[in-house]
Amino acid sequence: MTLSYDAYAVQAAALIGLPLPPDRVAAVAANLAVAAGMAALVFAVPLSVADEPAPVFVAAPAP
Amino acid sequence: MTATHIAADVRAGRRTAVSVAQAALAKVAAGNPRLNAFTHVDAARALATAAAVDAAIAQGRDPGALAGVPFAVKNLFDLAGIATLAGSKIERDAAPAARDAFLVRRLLAAGAVPIGALNMDEYAYGFTTENAHDGPTHNPHDLARMAGGSSGGSAAAVAGGLVPLSLGSDTNGSIRVPSAMCGIFGLKPTYGRLSRSGSYLFAGSFDHLGPFAGTLEDLALAYDALQGHDPDDPAQTPSPVQPVGGLSGIAGLRIGVAGGHFAKGGHPEALAAVTGFARALGATVTVDLPLATAGRAAAFLITMAEGGNLHLADLKSRPDDFDPATRDRFLAGTLIPATWLLQAQRVRAAWRTQALAAFETVDCFLTPTLPCVAPLIGQATMEIDGATLPVRPMLGVYTQPISCIGLPAMAVPLADPGGLPLSVQLVAAPWREDVLFRVADTLVRAGVAAAPEVPG
Repeated sequence: MTLSYDAYAVQAAALIGLPLPPDRVAAVAANLAVAAGMAALVFAVPLSVADEPAPVFVAAPAP
Repeated sequence: MTATHIAADVRAGRRTAVSVAQAALAKVAAGNPRLNAFTHVDAARALATAAAVDAAIAQGRDPGALAGVPFAVKNLFDLAGIATLAGSKIERDAAPAARDAFLVRRLLAAGAVPIGALNMDEYAYGFTTENAHDGPTHNPHDLARMAGGSSGGSAAAVAGGLVPLSLGSDTNGSIRVPSAMCGIFGLKPTYGRLSRSGSYLFAGSFDHLGPFAGTLEDLALAYDALQGHDPDDPAQTPSPVQPVGGLSGIAGLRIGVAGGHFAKGGHPEALAAVTGFARALGATVTVDLPLATAGRAAAFLITMAEGGNLHLADLKSRPDDFDPATRDRFLAGTLIPATWLLQAQRVRAAWRTQALAAFETVDCFLTPTLPCVAPLIGQATMEIDGATLPVRPMLGVYTQPISCIGLPAMAVPLADPGGLPLSVQLVAAPWREDVLFRVADTLVRAGVAAAPEVPG
């Protein structure tokens, strides 16, 4: 099945309860397509299971 | 007149803070209709604050290092008594701020005088300050051109001579981009250096606050006043105050020029600006940073997701009240797959590791701040290397990788750009703002860095 950013936008918006009028779908889909290009760049970086996400949770400052 | 001169005059009793405030208010009244930098001017508060500075001096008390210096802030900083707009229509319904933002309080404690609030891209999501609600801010060097963004009012107010100092925020380049377009100095400190409490956030992973000034000396004066611990900002890393005023000389510093991502994708004059500064500094080493492009992509995705999530309630209930330029990006940001965001955060950490390793061989590296001079207001596309590209996202191409990993950076203007302003970005290791000021001071003393004069 061919990826449709329009269809994805409509369905993903429904999933999170976000109203998305038909006349706004194309612009949102275009932004998703740009983001997909950025996602391709980050997924092209070889990572291992040792590569943790940048933010590190701190329970509280150490005493 | 510079902040340094004003403070010296006021402290020595050669001028009163009230007379300085009156002059600043007159400049704003005369100059702002052309620039559209200010969205709020509070003359009563300015004059009352200035009178208090004069009273302190009359009583023999120290009025502070910024005595009588007029300043203004991007309208995402809380100013007690007015609503914090963050460039939006939606926040016009918000209650007035109960107290000033932390950094505003720091400047007030140093004797500075608040003039008002400044225009920006809605919720800081943009590089152009073409605000649908308040209108575009105009570049003082060419009124038909953008001032940059998202802190466009902050840069235009300083470059246009309305105030000598201003504050802004930088999530992906929003201090450095407008500083570059308007030909002034702008500092984005290390992530976690300056408190953000009392400011309207955009994407908390990357939000930084910092100063703008027309001279390096003024930038240092402001930055030194802004440093200080604030328990109310969970992202602030407790660090000692490390003054930068008066630092000079690059003896012992290893300075490089960033290659790869930072050496392509820009107009020839933007790339040549780096070459000129490198020559003045004797910098010959090329710094290889292969993950910079992926780092920029990671910043793009994280910003989109965090911004979209932050505004989700309003996007659901009152989408038509957003600026159309930001709304569709925020909407899309609420819809991106979680795995994109998590991959971006893991790439961000890998990019940080790579950049920190580079600082084992250099103390500072140079990049262009922008790929081009200030575009025309309303300009949608530009040509780079024969390709037609959208202007808005391209403006952050060199600044985004740097804020992604919290490195301190300074936009430094070319003294003689031969036309519209050009700028070079200096980048140092975390917590080494001192290195930025030493390198910039060397460029100023060499006569190659300074805010170019605004044409009559």
